[in-house]
Amino acid sequence: MANAFVAAFEILSFGAIIVLIVLGLGIIASMMGIFNFAQGEFVLLGAYITWLAYAKGLPIWAGMAAAPVLVGALGFVLEALIIRRFYAAPIVAMLGTYALGLIIRESVRGLIGGFYLTVPEPIGGSIDIGAMHISAWRFTIIVITLLVMAGCYLLLSRTSFGLRMRATLENPSLARASGISTPLMYGATFAFGSALAGLAGALIVPVFSLYADLGLRFLIQGFVAVMVGGVGSFIGPVAGAGVIGTLSAALPWVMAPVVADVLVFVLAIVFIKFRPQGLIAGKGV
Amino acid sequence: MLKSMSVVREAIAGDEADDAMAERVAAGQARKQVKAGRKVLPIVEGVVLVAALLAPLVLQDYLTVFATRVIILALFALSFDLVWGYAGIMSFGQALFFGSAGYGVALLARDLDITNIFLVLPAGTIIGLTFALLLGGFLLLGRHPSSVIFVSLGTLTGSYAADRLARGWYYLGGQNGIPSIAPMTLGGYEFSEGPAFYYLVLGILVVVYLLCRFLVRSQFGLALAGLRENEQRIAFFGYKAQHLKAIIFAIGGAIAGLAGSLYAFHEGFVWPNMVGVVVSTQVVLYVLFGGSGTLIGAVIGTVIVEGVSFWLSDNYRDVWPIILGVLLLLVILFRPLGLISFVLGERERVGSFGAKAKEKRNAAP
Repeated sequence: MANAFVAAFEILSFGAIIVLIVLGLGIIASMMGIFNFAQGEFVLLGAYITWLAYAKGLPIWAGMAAAPVLVGALGFVLEALIIRRFYAAPIVAMLGTYALGLIIRESVRGLIGGFYLTVPEPIGGSIDIGAMHISAWRFTIIVITLLVMAGCYLLLSRTSFGLRMRATLENPSLARASGISTPLMYGATFAFGSALAGLAGALIVPVFSLYADLGLRFLIQGFVAVMVGGVGSFIGPVAGAGVIGTLSAALPWVMAPVVADVLVFVLAIVFIKFRPQGLIAGKGV
Repeated sequence: MLKSMSVVREAIAGDEADDAMAERVAAGQARKQVKAGRKVLPIVEGVVLVAALLAPLVLQDYLTVFATRVIILALFALSFDLVWGYAGIMSFGQALFFGSAGYGVALLARDLDITNIFLVLPAGTIIGLTFALLLGGFLLLGRHPSSVIFVSLGTLTGSYAADRLARGWYYLGGQNGIPSIAPMTLGGYEFSEGPAFYYLVLGILVVVYLLCRFLVRSQFGLALAGLRENEQRIAFFGYKAQHLKAIIFAIGGAIAGLAGSLYAFHEGFVWPNMVGVVVSTQVVLYVLFGGSGTLIGAVIGTVIVEGVSFWLSDNYRDVWPIILGVLLLLVILFRPLGLISFVLGERERVGSFGAKAKEKRNAAP
């Protein structure tokens, strides 16, 4: 019983981490049609900023709060300078963002060297429920993920900002005719997606520690999750991330980890092949 | 959202139509130039070939070994160029075929003591071909044509999954891969690093290059170029676009397999990175730099990227990948056809298909 509970918690917390990482990726892919290969490096930057704050003696919370803001700002600048040129050609966008990611990753590698740098959990210790112990920080990540998910959903579906964003992405010329500044909306969307990646990086760095290939590890899982969930809506990629995260955490409990690792990808690709529109078809929120 | 994308796509298609028109006009003018006998491509190819033939005579031994590696990687780049540069299939997992062939021949050498060149190289080629047929068949064929995004992410995922599998599978040596592979043999002769190996791989590269050149200059190549420029139109002409794609993908896989088996024997070991995302993206870099859609561009790109990184690796090891990223970004933004486009005109890149044939027919009677 206790074991099953711990397993369930592990699965849930890993699922939450994947959802957190995929949120930004999914918003950019669904709303802008760009598969951002630099997203993993935005996660890495978020982690780096958090570590930097910790290394400079600032409170970790400050680093975690600064990470999404700084990464979001960087995303806004990059969109205006570079990404903007790629909207018409999805493959070129992949290559261009890959190049961007390479620059960011190697810069961070140059800054931190080939080390694994650890950042302590801001909320240490464990939560005891009877005889069972669960990590307090992982629990916090689950809570924050739920809050961020709800926040994104409300932002996109209930605010006028979200409405304008969706209008821009669904019909740019009509949006322009209605007086919405579409370039600004594209920039804001990309910045928002980047900020979410920065937040994800900041939150997971105590769990995975900081190393240059941190982002790469999650990037492909993220892409697969977006495709499984379905590009075009907000809720699709989130659902996909839930499925992929849960599967990748759950399968190793019942079979050899190597097989489980590969099986998740094979299952996902086969699923997408036969259902290209993903779990949740359609667009909007 | 999807609607807006399709609008954009239609707009692009419109642009392409305009471009095509402009191209045809330019083509008419260019054809006159071609008749005047000014062709850049054969000159570039000739210069590269002569340089490659002379290289071992002037290079020190350890540089010849390095040059051999570059030639093998150029062969690998050729396979990616066929798939992306000619058919427009974005294969982010080309290393899957390169590495699996490398692992295959390494296992042949380790477990069965087979190192004969006439057995291992065909074996590697067939392994590459088989994997490419399986993956390409699955990703490209089917009732509905797959989207470019799906194909590129599917190949990427395949390569990543293979990397993970190789890392975790004890039989394949896990993280360490398979070390100290026996040298390739021909009768009693052992190919070890050095000029002999260099000329062997150069010879193979030249043969494969000529075969590819023939292929892309044929009617099949013309159909491929059409596929890259406007897939729908080619489908309307009655070509089975998906089949063409699967065929060229398999050919690319076979060449990658050949390169992978050479690489395994040259380096003497195989390791998981060889099937993984790192090598897969490396080959994309080579071809984008050199110029996709020209065979020689792939070779030149490999030589430049590997050469400069070798040259800089002593002093600027940390900075080089960053510079590489910046250069790549600049190439994508401002020189989408790669470095070769500085000397090669658009018309010659696409190639002339009809003119030559017509000339021959006119000359015949």
